[in-house]
Amino acid sequence: MSNHKKPSSEENLKGTLLATFGVGLVIIIFWVLAFDLYTGRF
Amino acid sequence: MEIHKYEKWWMIFGTGTLIVFLIILGVSAFHSGTHPNNSKWTIDYEKVDEYAPFDNPGLHKVEGKDWDYEVVLVAQAFAYNPTEIEIPVGSKVRFIATTKDVIHGLEVAGTNINMMLEPGYVSEKITTLDKAGTYTIVCNEYCGTGHALMYSTLKVVDTNDNSN
Repeated sequence: MSNHKKPSSEENLKGTLLATFGVGLVIIIFWVLAFDLYTGRF
Repeated sequence: MEIHKYEKWWMIFGTGTLIVFLIILGVSAFHSGTHPNNSKWTIDYEKVDEYAPFDNPGLHKVEGKDWDYEVVLVAQAFAYNPTEIEIPVGSKVRFIATTKDVIHGLEVAGTNINMMLEPGYVSEKITTLDKAGTYTIVCNEYCGTGHALMYSTLKVVDTNDNSN
């Protein structure tokens, strides 16, 4: 019933965090490409 | 409520990028003149042909204004008037359009000229046509059985181009 932390599971979450940042980076790249299309048009 | 630090980092990253996107879009939209219809210019949609400037649709050269040309367009099911417009490249143009019947769209494909035409209201867009080419004006608001056939042509021509 106690809420003791599990250090091993915290290490595992680092990979998840990096993976989500990777997804975020892809999103940002596509957003910038689409915005570049928009600003390039009259 | 305890939130894991990695989740905090991800929430800050996600929210931060969203805010940055919105700021960039908002500032650039205001800077480029993107605006919703202000709904101030109204017209009796049953008498569009009787009121200026829609009694003379087409391209008009103007003087003493911030723009060089005015393009007056009238939409109806299922055509635009005029069906073809030719403008010199580099011109600053004010597009003025309305509809005689139902809601239509007016999109110059491949550009940022994109307006809704609502009966009773006049839509406007001022922009500089800085790329030569032939652009199709299409209706992007479903308006009936002939919606897909509704188009006009905008030609931005380079008057200094002597090649054929």
